[in-house]
Amino acid sequence: MRYSIALALSLSLAACGSDGGTVADFDDAALVADFADQVAVPTYALLDQRAAALEAAAVALEAAPSATTLEAAKAAWVATRSPWEQNEAFLFGPVSSFGYDPAMDSWPVNTNDLEAVLAAPDELTAAYIHNLPDSQKGFHTIEYLLWGEGQAREAEDLTARELTYLTGLSRELHATTTALAASWTTSVDGRTPYRDVFATAGETGNTAYPSRTAAVQELLGGMAAICDEVANGKIADPYDAHDPNLVESQYSYNSLVDFQDNLRSVRNAYTGAVADAGTSGRGLAAWVAERDPALDTRVRAEIQTAIDALAAIPAPFRDAIKDPTAYAKIEAAQAAIRTLQQTIEGDLTATVLP
Amino acid sequence: MAACGDEAALAPGGDTTIEDRTSQAYRLPAPNLDADALALHLDGDVAFEATFVTAPAPVNGGLGPVYNHTSCIGCHARDGRGLPQIGTGPTSQSLVRVSLAEGTPAVPGGAVPVPGVGAQLQDHAIFGAALEGTPTLSWTDVDGAYGDGAAYQLRAPQLAIAWSEEPEGAVMTSLRQPPPVFGLGLLEAIDEPTLTALADPDDRDGDGISGRVNYVWDAQLGRAMPGRFGLKANTPTLRQQAAAAYVNDMGVTNPMFPEDDGAIEIDAARLDATAFYTATLAVPARAAANAAANRGEQLFDQFRCTGCHVPTLVTGDSPIAAVAHQTIQPFTDLLVHDMGDGLADGRPDFGADGREWRTSPLWGIGLAETVLVGARYLHDGRARTLDEAILWHGGEAEAARERFRRASSSDRAALVAFLMTL
Repeated sequence: MRYSIALALSLSLAACGSDGGTVADFDDAALVADFADQVAVPTYALLDQRAAALEAAAVALEAAPSATTLEAAKAAWVATRSPWEQNEAFLFGPVSSFGYDPAMDSWPVNTNDLEAVLAAPDELTAAYIHNLPDSQKGFHTIEYLLWGEGQAREAEDLTARELTYLTGLSRELHATTTALAASWTTSVDGRTPYRDVFATAGETGNTAYPSRTAAVQELLGGMAAICDEVANGKIADPYDAHDPNLVESQYSYNSLVDFQDNLRSVRNAYTGAVADAGTSGRGLAAWVAERDPALDTRVRAEIQTAIDALAAIPAPFRDAIKDPTAYAKIEAAQAAIRTLQQTIEGDLTATVLP
Repeated sequence: MAACGDEAALAPGGDTTIEDRTSQAYRLPAPNLDADALALHLDGDVAFEATFVTAPAPVNGGLGPVYNHTSCIGCHARDGRGLPQIGTGPTSQSLVRVSLAEGTPAVPGGAVPVPGVGAQLQDHAIFGAALEGTPTLSWTDVDGAYGDGAAYQLRAPQLAIAWSEEPEGAVMTSLRQPPPVFGLGLLEAIDEPTLTALADPDDRDGDGISGRVNYVWDAQLGRAMPGRFGLKANTPTLRQQAAAAYVNDMGVTNPMFPEDDGAIEIDAARLDATAFYTATLAVPARAAANAAANRGEQLFDQFRCTGCHVPTLVTGDSPIAAVAHQTIQPFTDLLVHDMGDGLADGRPDFGADGREWRTSPLWGIGLAETVLVGARYLHDGRARTLDEAILWHGGEAEAARERFRRASSSDRAALVAFLMTL
């Protein structure tokens, strides 16, 4: 993390006013609840639904490996990847606490041990796969098996054991998305559904979010953090080193789509809606539009500008970082994302949490 | 006591304090870093998140052959505490320190390593290598009652280890939950005279609280120095803490702890960046206090919790300008104290005996559940709530605990309300 949504120090000092009274909490409970119900929960439901389809595609590929079933599995991977990337503006709560994020999205792939497992006689049971290190499962290991290095994979190259392993990994990924979705909607191991934790921010007894201000700060901080991560991590780390080994989703060449989905995640958190899931609620956008419509227009425009700038980089990203003719477009995308980040950290935060 | 308007109390990390009460609160850079320091911090951020894999690899090779986890954040999620989960698979986050009662310590004054294992059980291995053993953790209930008659139930851990090769001799074990890693540069910058002034090894002031500096081996200096880090204060510096975590937790050799032939898997720049990262993470500002929390802060002092959880310290010189000469509120004395039979691990670690633990810093503890769903407390994660954590206190803390246990339910709630503002 590079920075924080830095509230003015007066926030805590104001809590100790001369009359001993407490500072007013953020005034819009519906906004916080709608984030949980109309953004987080549907994002994880969509992820789980698409992971089920990926599992089915892996089963079909194993049953009858062909160019068609391989392409279908790749398409299912890309489709599942999208809601995952669209959760990255709000990686708080169960996804980061219970190891779901590393279980799905660890990188780099431990290719040595992966090849060793594939060469070994061990039975690939569900428990065996579950207990594998995160660097031998999840999106990027599945991606590695489906596409191969340099996208050289042909269906006939896949061994029976690779196909079985792919099915096992897809099943494990689906089990993880199911657990993640459930962690927000149902009580698991006696825990409060996380939807209830977040939606009741500021209510007495809420020890995770004792104020709605903290919950809204969580949303703003998450939006800014993924901007920072995309511009200064996901793009800058491989670009500055001109090293394709550092690129996310490098086997599928899906990196630029990942990044655009990250920006859509910002939009979802801001507007309180998930277009791909068909949900919408009261978002920060509505709250801002009622008070400062010009700022709302600007935030929406900057999100779209950033998405467009990413789309303008020639794919695949792993080649663009070594292609001088693409550098201006890469840097323009970074600049657009940083502009959005500054708006979120600056004017947006100052307006929402003065 | 932090009265209203007491800015030092509301900024517990001094100039390193950040205004953030979210899940990101432990993972932000100190706001007073200059551009060069911030750049090094961000290098360390990347290093802290890096997942290691089996060598040779184009990126992050060097894992194992035996290890506990594959990355720093694998156990310190969002730079906070880990969960008391241990055993097979990647969700294992805690670890077990091991040693023998008799024998030759690995370094002067240190633990006696278990042959073939060392001083830490590595319960994972890369493919084809043999892990050292598989621990399993279960819990037993412990019933108790408050002074007003209200019943409570604690839980105590039961650890079992299935060794890959049964070691010779009686092995002492100590289960450890990963602690948070922010604010540590400030603790490193508290000078030794400050620590020795806080210590009262013979309890000359007769308050029932002794407190000793745990002098531990400094691998870089080659001599004993005050221990500050780790749950028994068994590590003197953040560089050594990071280097030991690389080599023991992840099996990644480094300049401080290389292979026998001198080979290393990360270079000094990466080790230094990681150590610097943990030295320069911000401390979250305290939350607004209501009347109950303000009363709870008074009770925290009246109960003499402050006898060990010392509210205010001042840092000394430091090569890191951002953490030097800061007035801070860590709520620790960095000393080791006898915590009674209930918490004793029976495993000495340098000068800390089998009943002693380092006073845990309490700054940021009110954010524990925000950062980590299902956060647990104390060295092994046995406490499910802050009330439970207090109720486990014994030994030198027994008198303070009794004041809490016998207090009215509203006073107990007020004290916890205060802790939740930290």
